Amino acid sequence: MDLRAGDSWGLLACLCTVLWHLPAVPALNRTGDPGPGPSIQKTYDLTRYLEHQLRSLAGTYLNYLGPPFNEPDFNPPRLGAETLPRATVDPDVWRSLNDKLRLTQNYEAYSHLLCYLRGLNRQAATAELRRSLAHFCTSLQGLLGSIAGVMAALGYPLPQPLPGTEPTWAPGPAHSNFLQKMDDFWLLKELQTWLWRSAKDFNRLKKKMQPSAAAVTLRLEAHGF
Amino acid sequence: MLTLWTRVVQAAFIFLTTESIGVLLDPCGHISPESPVVQLGSNFTAVCVLKEKCMDNFAVNADNIFWKTNHAIVPKEQYTVINRTASSVTFRDVSSLNTQLTCNIYAFGQIEQNVYGITIISGLPPEKPKNLNCIVNEEKNMMCQWDPGRKTYLETNYTLKSEWATEKFADCKAQRDTPNSCTLDYSPVYFVNIEVWVEAENALGNITSDHINFDPIDKVKPNPPHNLSVRSSEELSSILKLAWINPSIKSFLRLKYSIQYRTKDASTWSQIPPEDTSSTRSSFTVQDLKPFTEYVFRIRCMKEDGKGFWSDWSEEASGITYEARPSKEPSFWYKIDPSHTHGYRPVKLIWKTLPPFEANGKILDYEVTLTRWKSHFQNYRVNDTKLTVNLTNDRYIATLTARNLVGRSDASVLTIPACDFRAAHPVMDLKAFPKDNKLWVEWTAPTESVNKYILEWCVLSDKSPCIPDWQQEDGTVHLTYLRGNLMESKCYLITVTPVYADGPGSPESVRAYLKQAAPSKGPTVRTKKVGKNEAVLEWDQLPVDVQNGFIRNYTILYKTAFGNETAVNVDSSHTEYTLSSLTSDTLYMVRMAAYTDEGGMYGPDFTFTTPKFAQGEIEAIVVPVCLAFLLTTLLGVLFCFNKRDLIKKHIWPNVPDPSKSHIAQWSPHTPLRHNFNSKDQMYSDGNFTDVSVVEIEVNDKKPFPEDLKSMDLFKKEKNSTEGHSSGIGGSSCMSSSRPSISSGDENESGQNTLSTVQYSTVVHSGYRHQVPPVQVFSRSESTQPLLDSEERPEDLQLVDNVDSGDGVLPRQQYFKQNCSQHETSQDISHFERPKQVSSVNEEDFVRLKQQQISDHISQSCGSEQMKMFQEISTAAVFGPGTEGEVERFETVEMEAAIDEGMPKSYLPQTVRQGGYVPQ
Repeated sequence: MDLRAGDSWGLLACLCTVLWHLPAVPALNRTGDPGPGPSIQKTYDLTRYLEHQLRSLAGTYLNYLGPPFNEPDFNPPRLGAETLPRATVDPDVWRSLNDKLRLTQNYEAYSHLLCYLRGLNRQAATAELRRSLAHFCTSLQGLLGSIAGVMAALGYPLPQPLPGTEPTWAPGPAHSNFLQKMDDFWLLKELQTWLWRSAKDFNRLKKKMQPSAAAVTLRLEAHGF
Repeated sequence: MLTLWTRVVQAAFIFLTTESIGVLLDPCGHISPESPVVQLGSNFTAVCVLKEKCMDNFAVNADNIFWKTNHAIVPKEQYTVINRTASSVTFRDVSSLNTQLTCNIYAFGQIEQNVYGITIISGLPPEKPKNLNCIVNEEKNMMCQWDPGRKTYLETNYTLKSEWATEKFADCKAQRDTPNSCTLDYSPVYFVNIEVWVEAENALGNITSDHINFDPIDKVKPNPPHNLSVRSSEELSSILKLAWINPSIKSFLRLKYSIQYRTKDASTWSQIPPEDTSSTRSSFTVQDLKPFTEYVFRIRCMKEDGKGFWSDWSEEASGITYEARPSKEPSFWYKIDPSHTHGYRPVKLIWKTLPPFEANGKILDYEVTLTRWKSHFQNYRVNDTKLTVNLTNDRYIATLTARNLVGRSDASVLTIPACDFRAAHPVMDLKAFPKDNKLWVEWTAPTESVNKYILEWCVLSDKSPCIPDWQQEDGTVHLTYLRGNLMESKCYLITVTPVYADGPGSPESVRAYLKQAAPSKGPTVRTKKVGKNEAVLEWDQLPVDVQNGFIRNYTILYKTAFGNETAVNVDSSHTEYTLSSLTSDTLYMVRMAAYTDEGGMYGPDFTFTTPKFAQGEIEAIVVPVCLAFLLTTLLGVLFCFNKRDLIKKHIWPNVPDPSKSHIAQWSPHTPLRHNFNSKDQMYSDGNFTDVSVVEIEVNDKKPFPEDLKSMDLFKKEKNSTEGHSSGIGGSSCMSSSRPSISSGDENESGQNTLSTVQYSTVVHSGYRHQVPPVQVFSRSESTQPLLDSEERPEDLQLVDNVDSGDGVLPRQQYFKQNCSQHETSQDISHFERPKQVSSVNEEDFVRLKQQQISDHISQSCGSEQMKMFQEISTAAVFGPGTEGEVERFETVEMEAAIDEGMPKSYLPQTVRQGGYVPQ
């Protein structure tokens, strides 16, 4: 329900923004260049596609981890996974995010998650699982590229990777096997949460971009009158 | 000698050089380039460089180099001597794919030696691959295809390359046998554009295709929907609900669908309008289906926007629509059994099961109602499709409804008219014809309003009865086909009956074939009548079972053994035909074919022979001939009868009757003459009552009766010994000469008493130049007559005159004839008996001869008499006594003849001779 409300608010805000900026929008530029709209849509579709992939991958991987990780109601406390970027955020905060920040958060989160995931790939036991993980990694990399493309289209700079934070998934001696599995569990869970959030983010962006096209029509009509 | 020397030196050289293997393995020079690959049609130059050491050893330089391609020496014009050690060869427009090129020298100016060899491989550089396109199979792989262009003749590698802006993916190397496609074994990431191109490379170059950049999701071929299920609705018999499970791609992709369906037995699919299935869904309701019908469905999907490819078809699923009320009343007809029991008639009501598309469900039963007038009615519930009821002779109305789970059909109404109903108003212009492997029936409707038509048909056959099938048509129909399992080459008898409100009309029938064929047997032809020049052939109509079609005509083929075959076409209505202009007395072979529209079949051969004569021809010849013969005979008989007197004169000469002779009158034994005339009285005893033979042996003094007995015995002896002298001639003479015998009774007696002189004065002339056996007359005891005759020739003359007259001459002829038949046997018999007499008489022959010459008439006469005498003697010998009556008659006749014609003047002459001895 929150989502719906957010969507409405977003739409309203977008409409207001567009109307506010309407006289300044160079109409010809808009019509000649498709702009970031299609790439936002694609990024949105990609997040859905990754969600779909992760669903099957997580099922397989959690089965590989074994019980209790593969139990449906298994909901352990978030321990030792503090380094993972958190997807959960207060709705109001989420709604107040601007496009650049929103995109940047997504980009940074997936960059980190991808690094962790690659470590996961190296640990995977079965070839089929490795293959699925590799494909998912590639897809995730595609998502990163896609977000980067949107940011570029919108004229936002890519965040610079922090030196020394190049993620390495070296199992520390402090990690027991179970804790290791817990980390894997939370990695997958956080990935899923991020994909859900990204879907919302890009849907919001998508809807934010679409009315601009409608506004062009409006403006032209007004101009006619 | 020179060549021999050269070879010796060559051999010695090889021997010497092989001593050091190292020298052999180390080539004398080399060719550059080492392993060239040359483009077809280009120029190629190779250089052979000799080693200094070899040059010294073999005393050669670059001038001595010559080139060979595939063992053929390359012309010198293509050589170029670069320097002392190197020589090049240039080939223009290389066309062969593989060429062996060797560099050779003449060692010591003469011995051919190979220095080095290379293989020139030629081919073409790859062309730029075109039309690159890819298809992404959901969750499986991506396959790209392209057009590799012309053949290169060289080993060419095609590599499919793909990359994102940020990442390169692994290459996909095309298989050698499929240089136009490559399959990446992973599914590319959807929604991220990928750039794909192909690189082609071989020894002569490499080239890259145009790059294509696409989102793999736009090239996707989804997996087909699965678990398709079909469910019917009890509320609506015209719908079926489909449900399926979408492919997993549906989670992030909008799909559209294509649904096809068909009835179970149909082969073609119907398509549900695409606009109804243009969005993602997992179920669909198909409408406008027929009730209680099984349908088969299949479904496929693709990306909603139409980019990409349709999935394969799902597995087929089937379902049956729910039942509905029967949509049509059943066909309804009746048959009345002709066996008529008083007051009742058995009526067999028959109807057809509804076809599934009209039954709209499983027919549970049929309800038949029979209404007599308006009040009284009977109800029947029948599971079968027939019902036999006993009806009165009144008019009935029968109604029939079919019932299924949902409801009942409309009623089919049939009027069964009263017994005295007269059917009328048949259909007109009834025709039946085959078309499109169906037998169509067409008719013109009667002017009256027709409720419906009943078509009945059955196979006409001589072997099996006509078992009719039937169908019902609406009253508006006038052209339909028989909806039955019809067979080809069978004659169908089709009957159309119009059904009016008050009952059925008159039926009309027509015969037809679904498909004609040639008859399976030909007609057996035979002759009905064969004439000299014509033959009437006849045959039987072919049985309907072998006709296989309408017999249109017959063909009769006939020929003689060596002649050409003649064909005659005969109309099918005939069963006989007359072949004319045939040759008589000839064997003809006939065979006959019967033709339908589809061909003919010959029957067995038949042969017949025309007679030599026409019937009655022989009769026509024979009868007239016989008639003519008969007529001639009759005429002859008539003539003979008319002229019998004349003939008689010719046949029976007038023998003088001695009894009437004058000598008898004046003879002292006149009474004897009486005895001659009344022999019966004289010889009344014994068998000889009728025989007037009197034999008197000169020397035998026995009394007369005893003589007769001995005579009889003698005859018996003769008969028993059978031999005698006469043989055949004798026997024939016996019969034929009976008159002579009888008449010769007297003669014999005269002869026997020759020595004692008989009555006659016979003058002998030799029979057939034989010596007259008896000159009895001249040797008679009394020489008086002879003297008398000599003295009185006038008497003889008188005889002459008489003889030359009518009466005597024929008689002489008769004797001639008669005696000629006896021939010599007669003579022999004559000689046997009177031997002693003849021996005496021979002496007188000469004298008699003289007399014959002097007077031939008396001679001839005498000879005749002589003959007669002989016969008598014979008759006496063989004793033909039993037929005395005939003889007697003949004797009497002869006597008469003698009486008539015998000149009496002759006899006295004899008497005067005194030859007669009284007995």
